Amino acid sequence: MTTTVNDQIRVPIAKDEPESAPPRKRRRSKASSAGEHGAPASFRLYVAIIIAATAFLIPFVWLLLAALATPAQFSQGAEGLLNLSPTLSNFYEAVTRIDYGKFALNSLLLATIMSTLTTATSATVGFAFARLRGKGQKTLFTILLATMMIPHIALLIPTYILFARMGLVGTYWPWVLWGLAGTPYLIFLFKQFFSAIPLELEDAAIIDGCGWWRIYVRIFLPLAKPVILTSFILSFVWAWADYLAPALLLSYDNTTLSVATASGYLDPRGNGLPTIQAAGALLYIMPVVVIFLFAQKQFMGSAVSSGVKG
Amino acid sequence: MSAMAQAPAATAGDTRGRGWRRYRSSTFYLFASPWLVGFLVLTLMPIGYALGVSFTNYDGASPLWRWVGFRNYVEIITSDPAAIQSMLRTLLFTGIVVPLSVAMGLALALMVNRRIRARGVVRAIFFLPSVVPVVATAIMFRLIFNRDAGLLNYILSFFSDAKITWLADPYAFYVLILMMLWGCGAGMIIILAALQDVPVELEEAAKIDGASSWRVIRSITIPLISPVLYFQVITGVIGTLQILVQPMLLAETSSIASSANVPQSTSLFMVEVYNEYFYNQRFGYGSAMLWVFFIFILTLTLVLQRLSKRFVFYQVESGTEE
Repeated sequence: MTTTVNDQIRVPIAKDEPESAPPRKRRRSKASSAGEHGAPASFRLYVAIIIAATAFLIPFVWLLLAALATPAQFSQGAEGLLNLSPTLSNFYEAVTRIDYGKFALNSLLLATIMSTLTTATSATVGFAFARLRGKGQKTLFTILLATMMIPHIALLIPTYILFARMGLVGTYWPWVLWGLAGTPYLIFLFKQFFSAIPLELEDAAIIDGCGWWRIYVRIFLPLAKPVILTSFILSFVWAWADYLAPALLLSYDNTTLSVATASGYLDPRGNGLPTIQAAGALLYIMPVVVIFLFAQKQFMGSAVSSGVKG
Repeated sequence: MSAMAQAPAATAGDTRGRGWRRYRSSTFYLFASPWLVGFLVLTLMPIGYALGVSFTNYDGASPLWRWVGFRNYVEIITSDPAAIQSMLRTLLFTGIVVPLSVAMGLALALMVNRRIRARGVVRAIFFLPSVVPVVATAIMFRLIFNRDAGLLNYILSFFSDAKITWLADPYAFYVLILMMLWGCGAGMIIILAALQDVPVELEEAAKIDGASSWRVIRSITIPLISPVLYFQVITGVIGTLQILVQPMLLAETSSIASSANVPQSTSLFMVEVYNEYFYNQRFGYGSAMLWVFFIFILTLTLVLQRLSKRFVFYQVESGTEE
């Protein structure tokens, strides 16, 4: 049971990883006869891939170089950066110039609140759309899909004004509210997952006299662990990466690391301090990169189910 | 897809019947209520509020506002060349970024779909940039395109002595495009998944008939995954039209959410809206601009939907998507 459910959300791409040695061998022999997906890559293809990969990596490399350079080396220009004697002083500056611990904690707190609440709500609403029936449900589901198309950034400005009038600016309440409202995209993810679970499972529980809430909590939620993990990771990273909402809604005292990183490393005249900014940016993206490396499957899986419905 | 999942459940509910009801509307609404209430309060209310404010001259603080009817809308269309220009610029920007980014996503997906060494690593390299927070992306691109210490001017210095100030007009526009394209790996992943559903036999048959691999891609692969490509165009257009944070953060001296020093060439429509709200304190006018924008996006989406009927190939039964 659990395995079929797991397979449901597993990514098609991921499939060729778990498949162990024997199938892979078979595919190789087949592929060499016909030039398809699995065809051995040509030399030209490798060249193209290496060039593309280098281009994609350059921003990271340059960021790292700038973060390791002294301001003097940096001001010498690219030649200074390419022959630099690495220093960690930028990292020291990055964490001492601003109240780093506080901002990092704010980010952590905000992202945790948001991802916990939105995962809980999205699962519940997703369950409703997948397993329950109500009048107007189809229309509501269409609305849900349509809200994914709403320009969210454009929506944020009037939302800010409303929150300001309600006195919520400068507090974390907006994130609590957003979390409680669920995220259409994650609701969709949960709905897809719950829809695939066979009816017999809940039938037995209904015969035993279980209410829907207990069916949901006792039977469906435990099965949904992989989706819950995906949802939590995604919303955590989104909240961590968000810049506009904290920039608009929070004051500099309680804002997040994203805003502090973007605007905290300035000289008295308001110009950016590039080397310290680079170090700060590296520290700031570190959690995201680590989460990404450990949870690539979750990222990819969710991206996939979002595209397939097109 | 949803219909498929619902069908068995519905019939099962019908056959049971007799006094006891498996499904009650109230249960559904109870479970869905967090989203419903959230949708009303956090989505509909702000949109409606913006609509109301757009007919006033509200400045965000003064209680002495009054209704001005359609004056704000008339002003946008007749006497605000900056707004119209930024709208055209945004259209041009979107017209460049979205096709390029979908095409690059497709190219990358086709590359990593082949049996290559270190496939997982290569995929991760292409995908990672789309996950990097925008604040860090902007800092990276400011460094690469830095006038004095930037990589690009260093490379160019081998060819000419002139240093280019990339982050100012008119070049900032192109830097912003590159910054957007750097994130095309998200599209790659989606397309890659779609490629797994392309039947191998079809491509093999075409090859046996003597089709070149380019021809196979063009005549078989692309038509078969066109629904996914179309979906990416739609979401890409909506996402790119409303870009606000990227130009602000890319501007050379970015302090807290400052849009005042965004170069003209990257002053896209939402940047103008932001300026109207927070610099000119014209909430009414800014709201009208937002509504023009909403209507514009809606129209564009509908037009794209129409066009898709011509270019997008849907299989007869979409059951294969599963």
